[in-house]
Parts: sequence; structure tokens; C-alpha cells
Amino acid sequence: MMSMRCTPAVLLLTLACAAPAQQAPAFDSSTRSIAKGAAVEYLFPEQISVPAGKPTSVALHFRIAPGLHINSHTPKDAYLLPTTFSIPADSGAALKDAAYPQGTDFVLPLDPDTKLSVYTGEFTIDAHIVAERGNHLVQAALRYQACNNNACMPPKTVTVPIDVIGQ
Amino acid sequence: MKRNTIVIGIVLVLLTIFGWAGWANWEYRKQAADKQHSLEAQKDQLAADAAASTQQYSPSLVNKPAPALTLEDLNGNKVSLASYKGKAVLVNFWATWCGPCKIETPWLVELRNQYASQGFEVIGISTEGDDLAPGDTAGLAKDKAAIAKFVAAEHMPYPVLVNGDSLADKWGGLDAMPTSFYVNRDGTIIAAQMGITSKHDMEAYVRKALGTGKG
Repeated sequence: MMSMRCTPAVLLLTLACAAPAQQAPAFDSSTRSIAKGAAVEYLFPEQISVPAGKPTSVALHFRIAPGLHINSHTPKDAYLLPTTFSIPADSGAALKDAAYPQGTDFVLPLDPDTKLSVYTGEFTIDAHIVAERGNHLVQAALRYQACNNNACMPPKTVTVPIDVIGQ
Repeated sequence: MKRNTIVIGIVLVLLTIFGWAGWANWEYRKQAADKQHSLEAQKDQLAADAAASTQQYSPSLVNKPAPALTLEDLNGNKVSLASYKGKAVLVNFWATWCGPCKIETPWLVELRNQYASQGFEVIGISTEGDDLAPGDTAGLAKDKAAIAKFVAAEHMPYPVLVNGDSLADKWGGLDAMPTSFYVNRDGTIIAAQMGITSKHDMEAYVRKALGTGKG
């Protein structure tokens, strides 16, 4: 029965786990596939209603692709790029503040002595948003840098579209 | 008569239940088989996609002359791959934000020091992925400062060039770091790696590039 519940995500993870067992290291296909896709997906909410002019806490939910991790907002090393959320100016809504989840400790198999602070799976950013009165289609942004155990993708900024209604 | 009617009624109810259970079971098995079939098809597609992705990338550069490469080092001096003809060269694209690159760098330093006397060199190319616009001197200066700090911390004895992003199109996309190309003495790429494996793997390719091992 369990096998029937497999999702494409589980299959991808299975392929990603199976690939390192191959000895030929020429352009591992799982590494190639992670590099091609988006590592982080915005889940919800698509629309929020907030009191106009009053900072309001909104929980923004994201999902990271299986087999990948991204740095938390407070990585342990200065050379690592933090995950940050932002709202562009003149959007009709502004980001007053954001509370990021604490990262979980993560160790790369080839460097067991170094602990990283990362997000995996789903995570939530608690954004304090102040909106002007009216309906605003805000193109917020999440900047992150993703890796798997063997390679890292360049930093990426994804759009987080939110319909903000200031009442 | 009344008793017979009750018995017949019970039998009919039981037959109906058995019939319904049989149909439900058949339907369940049919759905399960459909799901399994769909799953197998998805799996086959994923495997085909992965294989296609690998085939699309690797043969495009391996066993062919290395693309032209001229970039500035941290001091602003131009360095060209062509000037290393006659040597085996490991062209290593890396980035300061890349944890696996940091793991791999000591291996590169050791291999370079071990095989330099046989005609081996490493060229490190910082590929920060920040898409600097041409003429963005402030951005480049910021990158260079971070790269110089990394180079000093890791005691990298080989040339380190900057702005590797500008080579992405010619060098297969550079979608993930580290990405390494092993160039033999004739200037032909004999192997390539995306991501880290082990120093042992890298050494085998270095020896192959030098013409002293099978790789």
C-alpha cells in the first residue's frame, strides 16, 4: 500500500539518494536536476485582508524541494548567504519587520565537523505588513541560496505574489 | 410460508452484500492497478528525463577542445587557459557562498602541490552568480574582497580568476557549484564534474589529464 502513496517528490528524492551510489562522477543527474528547478515554492496565503495603516502579522508559508536545504536567516558562517524576505517600495504595502524561523542544525556528510543552520521541508516567515487602504497586488520577494549534499545553486530571488487588501 | 419468505429475504440480502463486496473489491484493485501503472510511467519518465539531462550536458564539452577562457585575476591581470598549453589543467568553477566548494578546496590545494612538478595546474574561477552588470565596479570590488578573503583563508596557491558567470554559456551553463573540468596537455576536456565526490576521484582525473592514469 505504501508504494501506491508515492508522490513524484518521493520519487525525485529516491533518485537523488540513489545517484551518489554510482561511482562515475561525471555530471551527476540529480545535481543537474536540482540546478534546473526552483528550490523554493511559495505556498500561501494568496490574499490577505489587514486593517489599513496598522502593522499586521501574516504567516507566509514556503516549501523547499526534497533533498535540498537553504541557509536560514542567520547562517553560522559569514560567507553563507541568509534567506531574506522583502517587499519592494511603492507596493501599497510595506514590510515593517519579519520574524524568521530558527534554522535547524545540518551537517554535510563530507564535513561532519561543521554545523550549518538551514531550513528544509516547509517553513514559515511571520511578516509584519502595513498596507495602505485599497487593493494591492504586492510582488514580494524571497532571496535564498540552496544546496544539496554535494553542490550549491547560485543565489536566487523568487517572486511572492500576495493580494493585500487594506481595509 | 412466512419462514420461507424470511429465509429467502436473508439469502437475498447476503447475496447483495457479497455482490457489493465483490464489486467494491474489484473496483479497489482496478484503481490500485491504475495508480501503480501511473506511478511506473512517472518513474520511467523521471529516469528518462534524468538520463536526457546528463546526455545533453556532458558530451557537449567532454572529449572536445576546452572553450576559450580569459579572465582577470584578483590583481586585474588577464589570465588565459591557452597560456597553459602543454600542461594538464583543472578548471574549477566555485563560489564563496558554496559549502561543498569549501570542502573541496583543500583537496585542490593538495593535488596542485602534489602534481605541479609533473606539469599540472589548477585554475580557480570564482562564479558568484550575482549577475553583475558590465561596468558595475562597486559590485565587482565587493566580490573581489570576499574572494580574496576566501583565497587567503584557504591558502590557495593557484591562480584565482573572477567573474566566471561571464563564461556560463560557453562552459555548459555552470548551473551549480563546484563544477570542474579536467583539461589534458593538448587542451582537450577529458572529464567533468558537477558537485563534489572525493579527492580520490579528482586525483584519478588529474592523473588521466596528465597522461599517467586511466581516470
